[in-house]
Order: sequence, then structure tokens, then C-alpha cells
Amino acid sequence: MAVLEKGSPRRESRSFGEWVNDERVRSVFYQILVAVAVIFVAHYLFTNTTENLKARGMSSGFDFLGSTAGFSIAWTVLPYNPDDNYFHVYLVGIVNTLTVSLVAIVCMTLLGFIVGVMRLSKNWLIAQIAAWYVEILRNTPLLLQILFWFLAVFSLLPRPRDSMSLIDLFFLNNRGFYMPAPVPGDGFDLTMIAILVAIVATYALAVWARKRHFATGQRFPAFWTGLGILFGLPLLVFLVTGAPLTFDYPSLQGFNFVGGVTVPPAFCALLLALVIYHSAYLAESVRAGILSVSHGQTEAAYSLGLRPGMTLRLVIVPQAMRAVVPPMISNWMNVVKNSSLAIAIGYPDLVAVFMQTSLNQSGHAIEIVAMVMLFYMSVSLSISLALNYYNKLVQLKER
Amino acid sequence: MKKVSLFGLGAGLLAALTFTSEPAFAQQSTLDIVKSRGQLRCQLGTPAPGWYELSDSGKWSGFDVENCRAVAAAVFGDPDKIEYQSVTSAVRFTAMANGESDMLSRTTTWTLFRDTQLGLDFTTVSFYDGQGFMVKKDMGIKSALELKGATVCVLTGTTTELNLTDYSRTNDLGMNAVVFEDSNVRDNTFFTNGCDAITNDKSSLASTRAKAPDTSIFTILPETISKEPLGPVVRQNDSQWKDIVLWSVFAMVQAEEFGITSANIDKVIAETTNPEIKRMMGVEGDLSKGLGLDPKWAYNIIKTVGNYGENYEEFMGEKTVMNIPRAGSPNALWTNGGMMYSPPFR
Amino acid sequence: MAELMHDDAVFRPKPSLPPPPNTVGVVGWLRKNLFGGPFDTLMTVVGATLIVYFGHKLFMYGVVNAVWEAESYRECLDITGGDGACWAGVDRWMSNYIYGRYSVDERWRVNLGFIVLAVWLAPFWFPRVTQKILVGVSAVLTFPFLAANLFLGGDPGLFLEVMTAIALTCFAAVWLNVAACYAGYKSVGVVIVRVSGFADKDDRMHKWVLLGAFGVGFVLAFLYQSTWDLAEVPTVNWGGLFLTLVISGIGISSALPAGVILALGRRSKMPVIQVFCTAFIELFRSVPLITILFMAVTMMPLFLPVSINPDKLVLVIIAVCIFAAAYMAEIVRGGLQAINKGQYEAAQAMGLNYWKMMTLIIMPQALKLMIPNIVGNFMGLLKDTTLVSIIGLYDILLMTKASGQDPKWLGMHTEPMLFAAAVFFVMCFCMSKYSQHLEKTIGGGYGRR
Repeated sequence: MAVLEKGSPRRESRSFGEWVNDERVRSVFYQILVAVAVIFVAHYLFTNTTENLKARGMSSGFDFLGSTAGFSIAWTVLPYNPDDNYFHVYLVGIVNTLTVSLVAIVCMTLLGFIVGVMRLSKNWLIAQIAAWYVEILRNTPLLLQILFWFLAVFSLLPRPRDSMSLIDLFFLNNRGFYMPAPVPGDGFDLTMIAILVAIVATYALAVWARKRHFATGQRFPAFWTGLGILFGLPLLVFLVTGAPLTFDYPSLQGFNFVGGVTVPPAFCALLLALVIYHSAYLAESVRAGILSVSHGQTEAAYSLGLRPGMTLRLVIVPQAMRAVVPPMISNWMNVVKNSSLAIAIGYPDLVAVFMQTSLNQSGHAIEIVAMVMLFYMSVSLSISLALNYYNKLVQLKER
Repeated sequence: MKKVSLFGLGAGLLAALTFTSEPAFAQQSTLDIVKSRGQLRCQLGTPAPGWYELSDSGKWSGFDVENCRAVAAAVFGDPDKIEYQSVTSAVRFTAMANGESDMLSRTTTWTLFRDTQLGLDFTTVSFYDGQGFMVKKDMGIKSALELKGATVCVLTGTTTELNLTDYSRTNDLGMNAVVFEDSNVRDNTFFTNGCDAITNDKSSLASTRAKAPDTSIFTILPETISKEPLGPVVRQNDSQWKDIVLWSVFAMVQAEEFGITSANIDKVIAETTNPEIKRMMGVEGDLSKGLGLDPKWAYNIIKTVGNYGENYEEFMGEKTVMNIPRAGSPNALWTNGGMMYSPPFR
Repeated sequence: MAELMHDDAVFRPKPSLPPPPNTVGVVGWLRKNLFGGPFDTLMTVVGATLIVYFGHKLFMYGVVNAVWEAESYRECLDITGGDGACWAGVDRWMSNYIYGRYSVDERWRVNLGFIVLAVWLAPFWFPRVTQKILVGVSAVLTFPFLAANLFLGGDPGLFLEVMTAIALTCFAAVWLNVAACYAGYKSVGVVIVRVSGFADKDDRMHKWVLLGAFGVGFVLAFLYQSTWDLAEVPTVNWGGLFLTLVISGIGISSALPAGVILALGRRSKMPVIQVFCTAFIELFRSVPLITILFMAVTMMPLFLPVSINPDKLVLVIIAVCIFAAAYMAEIVRGGLQAINKGQYEAAQAMGLNYWKMMTLIIMPQALKLMIPNIVGNFMGLLKDTTLVSIIGLYDILLMTKASGQDPKWLGMHTEPMLFAAAVFFVMCFCMSKYSQHLEKTIGGGYGRR
């Protein structure tokens, strides 16, 4: 009671010290302080920038995006010609970056798993090779590796005249890799629609089969049925509409091959370097993931009567994946980011065409750097969101 | 107590920020800045033979370096009071606009756009260049117009890249440009047949050729597809500094016209009766006043750096890897039919 | 019973048979590890072929056909025709790969700086030395200033002089501490207190005595360093491996504290602070380093007042620090998340406030867990500093490129590149092996030993 009596009058008119010591008050104060400081710094930078631009006679604003770029880009996925404007250059760069990143991510994931399993191989030599592969690649800078592969690709491949060819459809020389390009005819849209329908149908089938399995215990061969739908339906539509697809074949004319799809050597070299470098990192995650599943799990699965194949599929892999997927996805993110090193070997990715050439020609540093950062941020934020979703899905339910 | 002092600290920080936020908007003249610093900040590119060479002893030398040395000699009387900044071409203009460098002397082509929209001023032309193509002899090509559909190696961020596009479009050649950031990689790509042709300023093609294992298998095609006037660049809105750089280059050209070299300069000044030489060398008159320099500024340049012809011979001449003949080119003196011409020192 | 006692009835095991000859010795090892089955054998043969093929190529290029003595690259080419490495040029440029364009007469200062750092940190590995945390903290906090003063030279300014003096005092204190520990005392502080005759006074007095001793040391160090007269070496002349180490070193030493603060901010319960920290981390983690570097050199000068003319190296170092801190923050956050909730609750139950809980209970455990990731981040940073070559800082990579443009060594680029790769490999490999060792020795704190 005495304590209460002492405390209660203060509660009505709190002394400054007590007010200050209130955690909520302090927390609000700190936050206001931080917010004010950040806003202040932002304002400070902004005024400085405008004054700087004025003092240096440099123009600013996004108007330049509409003006003609005037330079050519060696290889683009989107159609591009020098009359297009800077905004189009931005899009072209983005698509080029995404193309090389996506292909690299797919190949890197495959190779990473193979090397990771090799590291755990019982064959001493194979395990050693895999271990040194990982050590050497992880311990040298990617920039050096990209340069190395680029020079290697050029010195190993033949000139266009003596191209290596596969049944005269695919050609490989030091100008790149050439393959036939599909040219869709009338009615090909139907096939595309059929593919979409097939994907949706397969997904629905899988969901239904899973529900039925859980409810009744009966299994349904969803995998094979799904595969059948996925390939059968589009093929059927394709044939019914009269196979409206022709190919444009590459052929040697003058100095180079003309027609078909060309993949330039810079792309190959960058792809090779990204795949090899990141696969070394992924291999370590895969190894750690597999090792993280305790042997007791295998034994427990056996004692429940599961066959080895099912043990692997239902017990080991799902648990290993929980440890493998987060580093794997951040590895994917690194692939996208590191593809910006393309600049060193002349693959026209976003950084090369936009932050180098366009910045040099137009001089709009702030706008261009901001746009490039915006792109990378949105890519990696969407990847992080996916990762967070996955983590929530597989998290160990604790307490 | 502790908590209260935290408040004080926060308030103090805020106050400090408020006071520093007043931007100091004092535009000093570049000459004053350079003089007070005691060194000229000269921007070069990454090493390139002939233009700006970096030796294994860490010293810079080269044709473009001489422009900076001349300015340093004019300002300080000592051509070595220079802090060299070697900058990649991608950030060269921002480094100038930011005030990081006092002048830029690095095979930079004078264009209307660059002169007007980047906050820069081009001073004059110290080397007339033109873009050309180099191919391997065994291709059997005699003209650039035969390069239809060819793959061409080019350096990024340069006017070369744009000129190539223009040339290809004008003549409907459909060339594929392969763009590089690093000239070593570009050259090596060309040597190993990664491209059919390489394009660059003709002077630089010579240095590319000099890198090859076998130099005899290359040929430079006769076409010159662009005008590439190269010269030193300064920041905009500082005409005094622009004049200093401009006239430092003119002094070297004029000295060659007068036949004055670093070796004979003292003798010429002692014996000459030519009033223009006397005015130029600061023996008579007060021409240096307008520039804000020492009366002997031009003397210092010629004595320590040499005249235009000497520099050309040393870095571009026939004894060097560049091996670019001067006679008959625009880089000869106007008296020999070239375009090197200095306004009078009067 | 008697019969059992009989000799014949006793169970006499026969000596066990030797293991089958093909499971022991060399043959056994080979069978087990290389030729376990048809598939294994095939893999072994393929692997061995690859090793022999590439090993032979590398050996021919790098050793057999290589040229060790030449005056120019042209001479090398004439000798080998391009089939062998030209190590002569690498040798000639070697000191530039290491020091960049740092004035030749002043290079001893770089050596001295790195020797001082090594000597400073050496007590870490002395078993009997106490206060190892202070060794590390003092080195991280003060050595950069000493190094800046030493490497830059010229007129350092009052701030740098004071910091240099503090650094020198700390350095002396660290080694006096080593001496004290090996002389059998607990630490140098105990010795000072004893010598000064205040040993029987209370702890507060001891603090003042130590502070006084530090002050005396500081004054001496300040007077000593004011006698230095070092020629100025501007940062544009810094280069090579030296520059690589400077950039990554500062990045590494600032990343950990900044990362811890950011991570705590991100886990903070105050929404504004959390939002800002999260935004900062996500922004700089999601963009490639090259864009941050571009931002630093092209945009940052525009952000600053017109009169300020920042050094490019400073801008780049700031960019690298921001980048490294953002990455480190996520690693620290991971470490914090891995700490059992019970640890937080136990600390709070003991009445520790937030900072005490973090510094005494959570962080030490989290940091141990994070060692492999932290070292991995350091290695990544060391390798990533090669990107500064793209914006024209003369790190080891750009230096190796520059050597190929020297008219004498025109066209030499594979050899310097191999050299740079080897340097990075050695550094990173040692770091990763050491981290594995650390993990085993101190990371096992969770287990019982």
C-alpha cells in the first residue's frame, strides 16, 4: 500500500525523468528522430543535386527516354534498331539480362546438384575432383572467370568457314551458336492456347488427385496422366490445325551465317561462367543439405517399411530441400545480379547498354542509375517474396 | 542522466545538420584551385600505347600526356606537378563535371553534343584522327564496303560505336557490332577471329596491330568513315582556364612553326630578332597577363615539354609502335599542307 | 566338471583369418574408392583422363614452354610463338601488381603498415594472452586511421594525427599486455595499477589510473608521430593488391558493426526504424555491386555540396561498405533467428536490459554460429573488389590489364590474369580453411567438450 501511495500522485503529474524513462515515449521519440533525420538528409541531397546540376549546366528529367538512341546493340531478344528510343533500349537490356539469367539459373541448378552429389560420391577421385572444382571456382573472382571463359571460347572455336555442325541444322563457331528459328504460321495461336489449357488442366488434375489420395488413400497416376495432357493436347491441336509451323534455317552467306536463331559467343561465355561459378556455390549447399538430414531419418523410414526409393523421395529429399532451397534461391538472385558483369566481355545486358552506352551518350546519370536499380530491385524483391512464401510453407512448426 | 544526455546528443546532431545544409556556392576559378593545390589534376584514359603509356616504373607518358605536362609547365613552370587520373571511358565525363579532374586529355572526340550538353568545353584539336577498319589480309578485302554482314569489334561508350552504326546503315552493310569494355579483350577477340574486322580511330588501330603475335597479317582499309578531332577538354564556364589550356597547345604548335625546340630554345631566344618570338617567350610585352600566368609560361612549355613536332615524333612517329606517318596528314603544320595552325601570339 | 577342466574341452578360438587381400592395403583402397563397380570405374577413368589432359596442357603452357627471361613481349612471342607463358613480363611488373603506382621510394610504408597490422593481431594466436577482444576491437577501430596517415602522408590534419596517436598507444598497450601476460600477470592493467601504488584503492580509482596511463601514452605517441615527415602519396597512385586489400579491408572491418546495427534495427519493434533498416538492406542487397559503384562515382558527387570535391577512392570505399553492411546484416539476422527463444527469455528473466541481453547473451552465441557465413561474406567482398577496375580504380585486376598496354609488353594479358587468379585463390583458400578450423575450435560452443 505504501508503495502505491508513493506512486500514485506521480502518475498524475509525471516528472520529466519518469516521462523520459517511459519506454513507449522513448520509442516514439527515437522513431521521430530517425524519420526527421532521414527526411532531412533526403531533402539535403535533393537540394544539393538540383544546385549541382544547375551549376554544371547539365540537364535532368526523364525526357531523354523518348529521344533516339542511335547506337546499335550486338544481340537482342526483342527487336531493336538504332532508331528506337532510350526507353526501348532499357526494355531490350532488361530482356537480354533476364534471358541469360534464366538460362543460367536452369543450367546452374542442374550442374550444382550433380556436383553436390559428386562431392558425396564414394569414388575418391570423383569426390576429390568435385571438391577441387568447388574450391578453385569459389576462390577466384567471377570477373576473372568471365574473362577467362570468353578468351577460351574464342580460342577454341573455329571460324565460320570451318564451323562445327550437327546435321546441317545446328552450327557452332566463334561467332556463336546457330540453330533453326521456328516461324509460326496462321492458326499457331490455337496451339499456344492449347498449351495454356493443358497446363491449367494438369494443375487441376494434380490438386484433385492429391485430395482424393488424402481422403480415400487411393492413388491416382497423376504424373503420367498429366504428362499425357501436357504434351498430347497441344500436339493434337497442332496437328488438327494443319501443323502451322515452319523453320528458318541458318546458312553461311558471306562472312557469317544468316537466318535462324543466333546465340553470340559473349552470351555463351557469360552463361558458361555464371553456370560454373554459381554451381560451385550451389554444390556446397546441396552437400550440406543432404548431410543435414540425420541418418536416423533413413532408419526410421526403413523401420516403417518404406522401400529405399520411397525413403529417398518421401523422407530424405523433402527434408534436404528445406536446407537447400533458401541458399539456392539466393544463388539465383546472385546469378541475376552477377549477369551485370557481362559488361566486361560485351554481352549487351542492361548495365552494358543502359548504364554504360546510354549513360555515356545522354549523360543522365541519376535517372539511368535509378532505373537500373529499380529493375534489379523488383527482380530480387519478387524472388524474395517467393522465398518467404516457400519458407513459410516448409518451416518446422515450432511451439 | 544518461537518457537526458541522449536527448541532447540528438538535438545537437540535428542542429549540426541544419547548419551544414547551407550549400557553399562559391565558384572558384580552376586556375586558383590548381595553384592552391600545387598540382594539376589531369585525366587520362586507361593505358593505351602512344596516347598515355604507363611504364613498369609507374610513370605516365604519351602524346596526350604532353598536353597536361604543357599546362603544368605553363602554370607552375614544372611539367611534373601533375596528379594523373586514369579513368575508364564510361565515367570520364562525370569525373570532369564533378570537378574531380581539372582537364581531360584522352583521345576524346569533339562533338556538338558533348560540347553543349555535358557541362564541358572542348578547347582545340591536338590530333586529327579518323575512324577506319582493320582486317586480316587473307580475307582478301580491299574496301570497307565489302564488309557486308561482317562482325566488327568495337569499344563501348565511344563515338566509334555510333559511327559504325551510321556507316553500316548509310551503306546498307548490315554489320554486327560486338561491343567491348576492355580494349585488351577486344583486340584478342579480333586476333582469334572473333570478329571479321575491328574498327577504331586509325591511330589506335596501329597500336592494336602492334599487339598481335604476327603483325604482318593485318591491313588497315583505306576508308576513313568519320572525323575524329581529338583534343583537351575543360569544364564549362571558366574561360580563363580554357584559354590557358588552349594556348598551351597553341604554344607547342607555334614553336614548331618557328623552329624552336627544347634543345635550341635558349639559343634562339638569345639570337632572335623576331618580335613575335620575343613576345611569346615573355622577353617583350606582357601577353601572359591575360592568362594570369608567369611571363615565361611559353618558354617553360617548350623548354620542358618540347614543341608539337617533337612530341609527335616521340610518341606517334615512325620509331614507335604507333608508326603513324605525319607528312600529308592533317596533323602536319599548315605550312606543310596540314591543319596544325596556331593563331598569332600578339 | 573335471572333464571341463580338461585341456581338450576348453574353447580355443582359431586365429582369425586375414582379411581378403583385395580389401586391405593399396589394392583394397583402390577397389573401395576408385573401382567399386563398372560405373565407378568408368567415372574414375573419365576423371583421370580429364586431369591428365588439362594438367598436361597447363604444365606445357606454364612451365615447359614458358619464357622466364625476356626484354619485351615481342621477344617472348618470337621464342614461343604464343605456345608458352611469358612470365618475364609478369616478373617485371610484379611490384606494380602489388603496390600499383605508389611511389617506389615510399613503398616501405605500405610494407610497414601491413607488418604493424600483423604484429598487432598476432597476440590473437598467443595462448596465454588475455583481453583478446580488446586486441581485435582496438585494431579494427584505430588501425585504419594509423594506416591512412601512414599511406597517405603529407599533412594529415589534426583529426588524423590524434587518431594516429590513439592507435599507436593502443598498439603499445596490446604488446605491453602480451609482455605482462607472459610475465605471469593477469593483464597490463594490473601491472600499471600495482606499479602506480594504487593497488589497494577501489576499482573506480583503478579506472582513473589506467586512463591516466593511457593519457601519458597518448601524449608520448602524439609527440612521436608529429615528428613524422612523410611525402604525400595521393590516392590516385594507390593500386594493385595493396588497393584491393585497402578497399576490402575497410569494407570487412566496417561491415560487421554496421551489419549488426542494421540487423538489430530490422528486428526492432519500432516500426519506423524497422522500415528504414529493412528498406536500406533490401535496396542494397538487391542491386549488383557494379550499379552501387556506378552510383558512387557518378551520382554521389552530385548529392554533395558543390564545394566538396570527394576523393574517388573514398566514394568507392563508402559504396563497398554500404554493400558489405547490407549483406552482413542479413547474415547477422540469420544468426539471431537461430538463437533459441529461451535464451532471450532467460536473459530478460535475469533482468538484463536490451543492450546487455544483446551484447552478453545473444550476440556471442549468434556470432559463433555465423562464422562460416561471415568468412564467406569476407571472401565474397575480397573477390568483388575486382569490380572497382570497371570504374577505373587501379586494383590488381586493372593493374594486370595495364601491364598489357605497356608498349614493351603490348598484348600480354593471359599471364597477368593467371597471376591475379592465383593470388586470389591463395588468399581465399587460406581464409576458408582457417574459417573451417575456427568453426571446429570455437564454433562448437553449443556442444559439450
